[in-house]
Amino acid sequence: MIKYTIRRCIQAVPVLILITILLFFMMRVQGNPVDRFAQNPKVTAAQIAAFEHRWGLDQPLPIQYCDWIGLCGDKPPVINALPAAIGGGDNGVLHGDFGFSTFDGRPVIDIIAQRALPTIILMTTAYIIWITVAILAGVYAAVKRYSLFDSGLTIFNYVGYSLPTFWLGLMLITLFAVPPLRWFPASGMNDSYTTPGFGTDAYWAFFGSNPLFAIFDLGRHLVLPVITLVMVSIAGDSRFVRSSMLDSLNQDYVKTARAKGVPERRVILRHALRNALLPVITNIGLELPVLFSGAIVTETIFAWPGMGRQLIESLGHADYPVLMGVLLITSTFVVMANLLADIMYAVVDPRVKYD
Amino acid sequence: MNPLSAPEPLDVGTPSGGTPSDFEVALVSLNQWQLAWRRFRRHKMALFGSGLFLTMVGIAVFGPFIFPYNPIYVPTPLHFCPGSTTQLAYNGCPPLTAGHLLGTTGSLQLDLLTLVVNGGRISLLIGVGASVFAAILGTIVGGLAGYFGGWIDTIAMRCVDVLLSLPILIVITVFAKAFGLGDWRIIMVVFAALSWPGLARLVRSLFLTLRTEVFVDAARAVGVSDRRIIFRHILPNAVSPIIVSTTLSIAAIIVTEAFVDYLGYGVDPAKTPTWGNILTNAQSSIIVGNWWWALFPGLAIVLTVLGINFMGDGLRDALDPRSRE
Amino acid sequence: MTTDQPTTGAATIGPAADSPLLDVRGLRTYFHVMDGTVKAVDGVDFSIPRGGTVGLVGESGCGKSVTAHTIMRLIDIPPGEIVAGEVLFDGRDLLKLPMDKMRQVRGKEIAMIFQEPMTSLNPVFTIGDQIAEAVLLHSDVNKKEAWNRAIESLKDVGVSAPERRVKQYPHELSGGMRQRAMIAMALSCHPKLLIADEPTTALDVTIQAQILELIKEIQSRTGTALLLITHDLAVVAETVETIAVMYGGRIVETGTVDQVLLNPQHPYTQGLLNSIPGVAKRGQALSVIKGVVPNPFRMPPGCKFQPRCPYAWGRCVECEPDLFESAGGARSRCFLQAPEGVERREAYQLAAQDTVRGVVG
Repeated sequence: MIKYTIRRCIQAVPVLILITILLFFMMRVQGNPVDRFAQNPKVTAAQIAAFEHRWGLDQPLPIQYCDWIGLCGDKPPVINALPAAIGGGDNGVLHGDFGFSTFDGRPVIDIIAQRALPTIILMTTAYIIWITVAILAGVYAAVKRYSLFDSGLTIFNYVGYSLPTFWLGLMLITLFAVPPLRWFPASGMNDSYTTPGFGTDAYWAFFGSNPLFAIFDLGRHLVLPVITLVMVSIAGDSRFVRSSMLDSLNQDYVKTARAKGVPERRVILRHALRNALLPVITNIGLELPVLFSGAIVTETIFAWPGMGRQLIESLGHADYPVLMGVLLITSTFVVMANLLADIMYAVVDPRVKYD
Repeated sequence: MNPLSAPEPLDVGTPSGGTPSDFEVALVSLNQWQLAWRRFRRHKMALFGSGLFLTMVGIAVFGPFIFPYNPIYVPTPLHFCPGSTTQLAYNGCPPLTAGHLLGTTGSLQLDLLTLVVNGGRISLLIGVGASVFAAILGTIVGGLAGYFGGWIDTIAMRCVDVLLSLPILIVITVFAKAFGLGDWRIIMVVFAALSWPGLARLVRSLFLTLRTEVFVDAARAVGVSDRRIIFRHILPNAVSPIIVSTTLSIAAIIVTEAFVDYLGYGVDPAKTPTWGNILTNAQSSIIVGNWWWALFPGLAIVLTVLGINFMGDGLRDALDPRSRE
Repeated sequence: MTTDQPTTGAATIGPAADSPLLDVRGLRTYFHVMDGTVKAVDGVDFSIPRGGTVGLVGESGCGKSVTAHTIMRLIDIPPGEIVAGEVLFDGRDLLKLPMDKMRQVRGKEIAMIFQEPMTSLNPVFTIGDQIAEAVLLHSDVNKKEAWNRAIESLKDVGVSAPERRVKQYPHELSGGMRQRAMIAMALSCHPKLLIADEPTTALDVTIQAQILELIKEIQSRTGTALLLITHDLAVVAETVETIAVMYGGRIVETGTVDQVLLNPQHPYTQGLLNSIPGVAKRGQALSVIKGVVPNPFRMPPGCKFQPRCPYAWGRCVECEPDLFESAGGARSRCFLQAPEGVERREAYQLAAQDTVRGVVG
């Protein structure tokens, strides 16, 4: 098992490298950072050329990639890849240097660090709610089959699964964030009238002195985005949990448990559920990347200052260092999520053995 | 009487209870597709979904003849909405104002009904077209990988794995922006090119399982060629999940495409409307009370997708020979 | 003319001296499905004496499994419905017990094992876990003691190295071993009655023999009553004392093993025996009972077997026969055994004897 994990981790590296190569070429092909100056009459050609030279945009694409990843630099390629401490280069991703934004010059790492926490908050909250609701609803519907709850859940599943995430966000804003009902805010992470911008030092100072208010404010801003984000996932997954649970309840071992005299609640929760959750667990692991896609959409609609929104913004500016930085992190995340799903599967199902 | 033969019936008049065959179960032979159609017909939700989907298709196909869309025509901007002295036309006029059943959009003040009805064509075309292309491509790649195994399988699946690890939304947006040029046909190809890996993986695992079935061994033992086995023996068994998956992916593609359009990287709204690009600037009007601009195009998407999902589920239940009643 | 019934000395079915352990009376279980109502069990009466063994025999779909499930109240209530009847176990009617009391009966007083040991054992729990669970439910012991008892019961069923096996998962055991584990689990609480629903059908022949031996040995050692359900006449011949044959949801013949197999009173039983290939019939075409099992939605009028019966006459269509008793306590649901069938009985008996000779040699 350990050997399998290590092997998969090692295999993940070339996959990631390949992904970064593909993404790099895609990013550079779809736009040039200088495009945003194209409409500006005050920018001279000389300035554009200087800009391109400063950012290395006038070099061939493979060299640009090499620079970015840290294989090329002052020193010959192979040497440059080694850690700086033992004489290698100090540029590029391999050395922890993610470059600078072509849009505002800030270090990419700073941008990512600033944007990471909001996305983590959003996705973690969504993830917890999604799993809890999907499992509870699915199990209850399976146990009380043909009941009103079951039929209601089925309808909810179909409808919820059919709602495009971004449109759902728009509709929720229309319903709850504008007059007459102004229950929840329409955008952002914090109420700009009462709290400082999220993530700034002022914010943390404010948080320290009024923790309850800050949390309440944050919670209020989380409601609509989280509902938007999890709707499709809950709708899809609760159906899956329900059908998995129904399958499990139809199995012979459930009959055996009943024949032994096991109380019904124990039959459901211990014997049937344990088996029903097996495919659900792998499914949940595999759906993490989908959740991130949904986060991109949600953050765009709700102006949530997270990594997803950063992606869309940077895409507009063809700001490739930021794009690559964020994409590298999210791709690693996806690959790890897949690996985790496979491992979880082996852990919970004693019939599965990797070697 | 011969002790080894079955006993003869007693000759005391025939019983009038009927022959054994009267009480046997009637066997009417139906082939796989007839059975599936029968099951599909009985599935109320599937019928409802199909009806819904076909209605939307009908609107998309025939609507533009009733409400033709002229991309060059931009109406003279009004200051107030007709029949009102307070509603600013710039924010969009509500439904049921004169001449605008569904209202108008903000800024350009285009008629929403015309937009939605015309937008259906392209949205649906992209959805169905991309889905079908992706299905064909995915089936070919996945089928070959699953059947032949070996290095074909390894290469194909590594490619698929890498492609599937890419953040699909970003990649689609990037490609649409880079190569789309606002032309819906290119957008359709982009979607097809990025949707096939998912289906390839499904088809590969189908073929892998089916290849080990006994009937394939039997066919090989009689000397059937590989090509015939694939087309005549395995493919008909794999076709059902492929149909279901393709149907459901139409819905996914329509939704994703709408988002790409909404971002502004998809089909150019100046050329043709799609349900997504109608929504591009709608958000800013919501705060001033314009609820219809965002509602109706989205509703069109929701109804179409809902119909497809019902239909797809019905297909899945109908085509699966082992479905539980 | 009936021949002398050989006495077996074993308990026979019918009113016995002391009260039976299990007494099923007039049991009817119906299933309401989309196309109609299936009367899976439609009037079943039999009883099992304390420590006795009964085999319930019949082909697929005759209702024997449903009978067993009804006794244990394992029927899914919609679509199933226990329409009528009594199941008297140790004096109590199980059908009238509240569910929590019924659960106390299950496992502790009546235990059941099923056909497919692979799917009947929970794949995510160890064997020991599953056996200990039964023990913990019905006895007042702690976990360690329950675990030890699990090991004990595995030893009792002949599983080697039980301390090791007890920590294994079902998929790590062979088919025969799994069935032994199931039996161990069933017997771990020392029930008074063991119901075995086709316990050997899913096993290959050599293992079948071992498991049947095991069941017989356990039964005689512990005195547990046994209800063995099977479609295989050979299986019952070796394992039980009394047989009840089912057809179309009803019992059509009962008697001791010797009575039923050596002197079958019902044409169905006779047909079953006749279709067993034997050395004496070498070179002959196999004989079958003509026709097929009736459509549960269109049952024939009168006797359910009548469309397939070579001896049927007008009376058989008019109404359904009761269980008529013949010498020695054997009974048969056939008008041939009734006073009105006396003239036709002789021809039937001749044929029956031919059949038996063909089987036994």
